[in-house]
Amino acid sequence: MDSKGSSQKAGSRLLLLLVVSNLLLCQGVVSTPVCPNGPGNCQVSLRDLFDRAVMVSHYIHDLSSEMFNEFDKRYAQGKGFITMALNSCHTSSLPTPEDKEQAQQTHHEVLMSLILGLLRSWNDPLYHLVTEVRGMKGAPDAILSRAIEIEEENKRLLEGMEMIFGQVIPGAKETEPYPVWSGLPSLQTKDEDARYSAFYNLLHCLRRDSSKIDTYLKLLNCRIIYNNNC
Amino acid sequence: MKENAASRVVFILLLFLSVSLLNGQSPPEKPKLVKCRSPGKETFTCWWEPGADGGLPTNYTLTYHKEGETLIHECPDYKTGGPNSCYFSKKHTSIWKMYVITVNAINQMGISSSDPLYVHVTYIVEPEPPANLTLELKHPEDRKPYLWIKWSPPTMTDVKSGWFIIQYEIRLKPEKATDWETHFTLKQTQLKIFNLYPGQKYLVQIRCKPDHGYWSEWSPESSIQIPNDFPVKDTSMWIFVAILSAVICLIMVWAVALKGYSMVTCILPPVPGPKIKGFDVHLLEKGKSEELLRALESQDFPPTSDCEDLLMEFIEVDDCEDQQLMPRPSKEHTEQGVKPMHLDLDSDSGRGSCDSPSLLSEKCDEPQAHPSKFHTPEGPEKLENPETNLTCLQAPQSTSVEGKIPYFLANGPKSSTWPFPQPPSLYSPRYSYHNIADVCELALGMAGTTATSLDQTDQHALKASKTIETGREGKATKQRESEGCSSKPDQDTVWPRPQDKTPLISAKPLEYVEIHKVSQDGVLALFPKQNEKFGAPEASKEYSKVSRVTDSNILVLVPDPQAQNLTLLEEPAKKAPPALP
Repeated sequence: MDSKGSSQKAGSRLLLLLVVSNLLLCQGVVSTPVCPNGPGNCQVSLRDLFDRAVMVSHYIHDLSSEMFNEFDKRYAQGKGFITMALNSCHTSSLPTPEDKEQAQQTHHEVLMSLILGLLRSWNDPLYHLVTEVRGMKGAPDAILSRAIEIEEENKRLLEGMEMIFGQVIPGAKETEPYPVWSGLPSLQTKDEDARYSAFYNLLHCLRRDSSKIDTYLKLLNCRIIYNNNC
Repeated sequence: MKENAASRVVFILLLFLSVSLLNGQSPPEKPKLVKCRSPGKETFTCWWEPGADGGLPTNYTLTYHKEGETLIHECPDYKTGGPNSCYFSKKHTSIWKMYVITVNAINQMGISSSDPLYVHVTYIVEPEPPANLTLELKHPEDRKPYLWIKWSPPTMTDVKSGWFIIQYEIRLKPEKATDWETHFTLKQTQLKIFNLYPGQKYLVQIRCKPDHGYWSEWSPESSIQIPNDFPVKDTSMWIFVAILSAVICLIMVWAVALKGYSMVTCILPPVPGPKIKGFDVHLLEKGKSEELLRALESQDFPPTSDCEDLLMEFIEVDDCEDQQLMPRPSKEHTEQGVKPMHLDLDSDSGRGSCDSPSLLSEKCDEPQAHPSKFHTPEGPEKLENPETNLTCLQAPQSTSVEGKIPYFLANGPKSSTWPFPQPPSLYSPRYSYHNIADVCELALGMAGTTATSLDQTDQHALKASKTIETGREGKATKQRESEGCSSKPDQDTVWPRPQDKTPLISAKPLEYVEIHKVSQDGVLALFPKQNEKFGAPEASKEYSKVSRVTDSNILVLVPDPQAQNLTLLEEPAKKAPPALP
């Protein structure tokens, strides 16, 4: 329910953004098979939407990698947290392709919905991550600032993806179930090692999922916009 | 027995160990995984380092298991990656799953396992260097020549589908230089280099990097020789020079234009316009009359000092009222051409005061005005002349004088104008000429001085209106007149000295003198005017002889008996009829 209302609100915002971007960046229509109703119906350039989305996803992945490395350097040296990070991501239930062939065989609709699911499932964990990192004693600004930035960019990317989804697959249902994160208690546990381990897991999963999103988007970009001729 | 067997076994084992140790054999040392790399995010290879083998042939095996799986796999390919490597092909590669890899060293003595390595393929991407690097010199027409560098993406990278996002870095330098010139490109597989030095050998290298991963190694150096006649026309330099010179020219022209005006003004200075010192033309333009007048006023206007000097120079006027009738030597100097007849009889004459308003306008206008000449019967007009001098005439006897005689006072040394000294009340406009008698009478009456009682004597004080180039003005002040009227000891004065007649009351009023005739010699014959009051006229006497000149420049005329006789003789007929009733 909450997601529906928020998505509707985001949709109206996106409409406004669409109109404005149309006024500013009228670059014509990209003649791709993606616009089913013909070139005349795609008001906003899909190319620009994809370019923007790729940029944002790339940025998020960079930030996540840096944040993970910072945390690993400061809190996880010699603790073997990685052994416990296996199979700890809440998004592992999503059937995401694991290699290139699988990804190329996946239809762009599926890929896009997977992307959307991933993005949506990270809204909540990112919010809590920021809160909990703030409360972490001696949290370096490098980690906190990046967490805040990632949370913002994630929302932005979600909006953009929803726009792209609306253009690429008009009329597709918006509501897709996405995995829910339940790792908050472990982030708030009193045991410092357990808490740091939980943080480590979360950052590790974030890095991986941002890589997935980035790769899928770039793949879709080349496939849809450049016809596999990047 | 058992104890003996056990001890025997231990002893044998120890023997074997010692034998093996003596031989140098031991289980292998733990190997160490060095690194794992994925060239295209599709496959990856791991390399390890073997430890000491313990003197026995050792086999290395690599085992791994993936995240979320419990099954342990062994390395599918030991060969492709070279010795001590394990190559994971595409089907064995999962991009977003963690690999736990272990290398085992096995020999006869034992097995050693390395520490596990946690590998995430996404984070170990390092491509190969770009391939097929070609260098080419191009000379297109109408364009600058350049070096064309081309290459192709590294192997095992799928760039077209967008799976592998790549960026390139090219560097080049002349062979003997130390610093590299670097260029970056995204996706492009070619580059154009301009501005090359002819006759140099250039070295070129290239490397690449994925969007998230490690830089590749530098490609092997590729060299190219730039020929000596390579036309590197740097027109941009000439364009820059041209623009700079144009700018400099413009600046110079502008400076000359600015300074030229000043130079021209130096050479040909402009004629200064008329300027009134202390006068602001703008005030006039603005129409501020008050300020204008103020400006004018500030210029010492009216020029009081100069006038004063002039006045002081020529005029001295004293007030008759308050002062004794003392002869006062005239302070004024006399002008040139003063007749010897002129004496400073009138002591107070000429002493003017600038405060006198009637004096001011006339004095300043004609400071050098000469005294008026003797006027003929057109005399009354001359009276308007400020230069005229009043002469105090005293004519005890009235002789009929034809015409009108202006009465003048002897001038002082100053010829400056002297207006009618007395208040206008003294001037009776009824008469065509001054009634000196009245004047003197009034003066005497006011001053209380003695009137001349010249009538009683035969001496008449007459002042001829001779032109006396004295330039001295006399003011017919009371004092003067009184002086003139009064008797005073004078030297060479024609004035009779009726010292005994100082009493004020004149028995006989002064009368006009009329010019009777002018003799042939040019001698003026004056008669006292007939006074009707006195009844029968007396025997007319002709006054044509100058007795003396008084201090106040009054000519004292006496009847000339000789002339009288002559005249009597000459005009007996004339006179007789009127005389006889």
